[in-house]
Amino acid sequence: MTGRAEPVETGLALRGAATARERAGAHPIAGGTDTTVLGVYLFIASEAMFFAGLFAAYFTARTKYSTWPPGGIHLDLPLAAVLTALLVSSSFTMHGAVRAIRAGDRQRMIRWLTVTLVLGTLFLAGQAYDYATLGFGFTSGVYGAAFFTMTGFHGAHVLGGVIAMSVMLGRAGAGQFTAKHHAAIEGVSAYWHFVDLIWVLLFSTLYLLR
Amino acid sequence: MATTTLVRERVGYRSTLFEWLTTTDHKKIGVLYLTSSLIFFLLGGLQALAIRTQLAFPNQALLDHATYNDFFTIHGTTMIFLFAMPILSGLANFVVPLQIGAADMAFPRINALGFWMVPMGGLLIYATYLAGGAGIGWTGYVPLSDAGPGGVFGPGTGLGVDFWIMGLVFLGASSILGAINFLATIFKLRAPGLTMWRLPIFVWTVLVTQTLALFAIPVFTTALVLLFIDRNFTHGAFFNPAAGGNAILWQNMFWFFGHPEVYIMILPAMGVISEVVPVFSRKPLFGYKAFIGATIGIGLLAFGVWAHHMFATGAVYLPFFSFVTGLIGVPTGIKFFNWLATMWRGQISLKTPMLFAIAFLAMFLIGGLDGAVLAAVPFDYDVTDTYWVVAHLHYVLFGGTALGVFAGIYYWFPKMFGRYLDERLGQIHWLLMFIGVNLTFFPMHILGLEGMPRRIATYPATLDWPILNLLATIGAFVIAAGVAVFFVNLAISIRAGAPAPDDPWDAYTLEWATTSPPPPYNFDTLPPIRSERPLFDLKHGAASDGGALAVATVAAGAGGPGGEA
Amino acid sequence: MGFRATWHRLALAFRRLSSPRPSLAGVPGRPRRAATRLRAIVLVALAAVLLGGCSLAYPAAGGTVQGQDIRSLYDILLIPVVVIFVLVEGLLVWALLRYRGRRANLPHQTHGNNLLEITWTVIPTLIVLVVFALSMQTLGKVDAKSSDPALVVDVTGKQWFWDFSYPVQKVTVSGAGQEPVIDLPVGETILIRLHSDNVIHSFYVPGFLFKRDVIPGLGNQFDINITTPGIYRGQCAEFCGFGHADMRFSIQAVSQAEFASWIAGQQAAAAATPTPAPSLAAGATTLSVSASTTTGFEQSSLSVAAGKPFAVAFDDKEAGVPHDFAIKDSSGKVLFNTRIITGPASETATAPALPAGTYTFFCQVHPNMQGTLTVQ
Repeated sequence: MTGRAEPVETGLALRGAATARERAGAHPIAGGTDTTVLGVYLFIASEAMFFAGLFAAYFTARTKYSTWPPGGIHLDLPLAAVLTALLVSSSFTMHGAVRAIRAGDRQRMIRWLTVTLVLGTLFLAGQAYDYATLGFGFTSGVYGAAFFTMTGFHGAHVLGGVIAMSVMLGRAGAGQFTAKHHAAIEGVSAYWHFVDLIWVLLFSTLYLLR
Repeated sequence: MATTTLVRERVGYRSTLFEWLTTTDHKKIGVLYLTSSLIFFLLGGLQALAIRTQLAFPNQALLDHATYNDFFTIHGTTMIFLFAMPILSGLANFVVPLQIGAADMAFPRINALGFWMVPMGGLLIYATYLAGGAGIGWTGYVPLSDAGPGGVFGPGTGLGVDFWIMGLVFLGASSILGAINFLATIFKLRAPGLTMWRLPIFVWTVLVTQTLALFAIPVFTTALVLLFIDRNFTHGAFFNPAAGGNAILWQNMFWFFGHPEVYIMILPAMGVISEVVPVFSRKPLFGYKAFIGATIGIGLLAFGVWAHHMFATGAVYLPFFSFVTGLIGVPTGIKFFNWLATMWRGQISLKTPMLFAIAFLAMFLIGGLDGAVLAAVPFDYDVTDTYWVVAHLHYVLFGGTALGVFAGIYYWFPKMFGRYLDERLGQIHWLLMFIGVNLTFFPMHILGLEGMPRRIATYPATLDWPILNLLATIGAFVIAAGVAVFFVNLAISIRAGAPAPDDPWDAYTLEWATTSPPPPYNFDTLPPIRSERPLFDLKHGAASDGGALAVATVAAGAGGPGGEA
Repeated sequence: MGFRATWHRLALAFRRLSSPRPSLAGVPGRPRRAATRLRAIVLVALAAVLLGGCSLAYPAAGGTVQGQDIRSLYDILLIPVVVIFVLVEGLLVWALLRYRGRRANLPHQTHGNNLLEITWTVIPTLIVLVVFALSMQTLGKVDAKSSDPALVVDVTGKQWFWDFSYPVQKVTVSGAGQEPVIDLPVGETILIRLHSDNVIHSFYVPGFLFKRDVIPGLGNQFDINITTPGIYRGQCAEFCGFGHADMRFSIQAVSQAEFASWIAGQQAAAAATPTPAPSLAAGATTLSVSASTTTGFEQSSLSVAAGKPFAVAFDDKEAGVPHDFAIKDSSGKVLFNTRIITGPASETATAPALPAGTYTFFCQVHPNMQGTLTVQ
């Protein structure tokens, strides 16, 4: 960009000026975020609003009660803490995979992605165990409804991430992805970090903040 | 236009059914959107006629209460989710890639998926009629739409309301996919030289609209999912106070989506008007940047006004929402004066697109004013949930959105099909619409002031209600006649309309730089883009624009009514 | 009202317009007379619609102190609305008439004007601020609550009627089966407390220029001071299901003495033993039918004798859920229906004689609750 020669590319005063990019003969909006990755970011934005709605419902329900969770409901905090640790560390391993492919090392990426996949699957298994052993259910009042709706939708997103990672592993195994062309990996990674972030918020809200 | 060397082929719109069903071409998908939306417009309109017929005279029983309730629910749902939103998506689908000089949308297959979810959602919405109905209103207020420990309060004991929920989740997902696609397209696929401050206004309004959709619709999806869970599994835990839920929560979530939704439906129509008014006044849009600023301003404020639908609940913080609601009138006013100043000292030609644009201005002003006063809470206490609000929302959505859409269809039809829509039929269509809209919806203001609540299946012969309702019903049939003329026009013109050149309106933006209809992938070459009117520059040269110098000197007396003209 | 001034300015502007002007004089083929006449017609039509609309639409004074406050806000709101409407529609019509027609040369390509744009941003903002301040002031008066109301009235929204009760006086007026009429005294602060245990309703009295939603789980209440005696109709304003249109009531505003005697009359009537329900015609058959779920009646088929009226004993066993029992013929015409009752409750009614044939019986609230009625 020849910033100094072309101070602003906008405005009536410069009507008729060619943009620097155009003069350089570049592709329309070359550079910047890849279109696919931008699509994933936008999708994540909409997902964030979906979860924001769930949190709003949760906090609205909560304001009506002086004791929360309502009597007789106990959560398995140690298990949830372990699950949180699993999911948070999977963000780091996912980042390892992205760094590997950016450096062009597909084999290292496959290893990191496999670790991430295992961590995600362990989380799902742990959550299934949690569901089976909790002393309350979906239909036990406002709390049960909110708890299972929120963690359930999050679990479904984790499952979606696990499936996406499996597909990525399959494609990588077939020799796809290079240092230059790996938008799908970047997209899955962004999605996975988002799913982790939602879990951290859920864990804080349901287990710590109460 | 020597801007494309491609031979005009017949492939575009004479291809087989299979090609239409599997196409990923944004232009064909745009036409599919328009087709599906117009079919649903007819269905929604038929229900409106049934409603108006029932209300033509007091104490009528043409429709029983349950049918009446189903009709107005599905009428509203259809017109908003199956007509207004998708038809604007259709126009944007066709126009946006052309206006930014792109070959297609960013994600063509997601585009096709997004479209096909609309008729699927429509089928689910209309399946309610086979499943016990969904007489809950398009706002679906709980607990009426909810279940509870005592069973179901509303009419939807069967699957009716569940179908309605599923249909809306489907349509919402379609809109979210569309939003992602439009935003990625506008951000990434603009032609060289097309900076953000040179984007056509229509593209800007689509950009803001789709951003609103991206952030508002997911919250509605959450609310719908919670309602579905409530009805089928948790028996009112979220929304039914009898089961520990909160009835206001639905309203907050619904209107957090529902008010931005209003702007999702009106901003692109404003964008259409901002394309049509300058072209048919032979002037640039007055205050291009201010207009964009106003559009962004409306988009931001749209998220801070939702509770003005809930003043009478006694459960919202009134001063904040009242103030922001009043404030949102300011950017709308800016736009109005921009349009007027664009026409000022122009050379106005009253072709059908311009006729509809003018009707939009005249009607939307009424819809804006009768809505702006609702920001005054005590006034809202009186007229909310009466026919005043029905008048307001129809002036905005019919007088505004629908007339804007018609302007857009008359404007871009030659680009879509290489033929003009018939001018004389268009004038008749316009005249019937103009009379019909005012005859139908203006009396509703008075009905509202005289205390007629909305959504009542019948009414006693009190005050002026009978005569005003009769007028509204007559107006509805005038509108129906206008719509019939429009469909006749479509049917005739699509096959036998006068052939249109590539640039029939002497317009400004890139879509007119290619053939009519455009070839697949749209452009062979593009003109240089040096302003928001690349085609104007090409035809008239940048010099005739007057340049930056003339701007300050000429405009001084332009807007004042007393200015010497 | 600012009408006269606006009108004057408009007329002045148009007079100036209709005088010949160099730019237009050069356009051939446009007779000046016709254009002037067109302008006059448009103007007159515009004015007629405006004045007609305003005089018709303008509501009478509110019947309460609060309603009168709201009514004075109407006057304030009307000014900017009318001014903006006339100004903008006028400018639009003017631009259309004045700047029509294409010429050889392009018009000047004006891109904007900062001063103008700032003006039409700042002035509307000021209007918004003023209107906001005034409406908040009115709101404070309308929503003010007395700590010591002279009378308390509990209003309960049911599906689909209103119940009114005066807890201190121990008087209840129910809207079940009839349109209730209640008396309220003028000149006293009355506290209205709203209740619902089903869906959302809205308590709306147009003559008071006021409504408030009746929301389950939310005890909304407000004060009124009625100023003018008379009959005020009211109606539910929030859609509440099948019978929403039927939730009407009337308030009879009377002097305090008349109110006292009305209360005494109600108390006396309540003390008297209720009259027994009229017995059924001798020899009539009774059709017993009941509902316990919202998916169907407990009977899927029924039969009665043709040509004779018969009694229907309908039992709604489902707590909190409204049902009725209705009969329709094959064309869908409803021949008979009971009142809609909310269970657990029962209802007896006499159905008319029916010719032999097969009919459908159903619940109007839940149209998919159906069964077959054979008349033979």
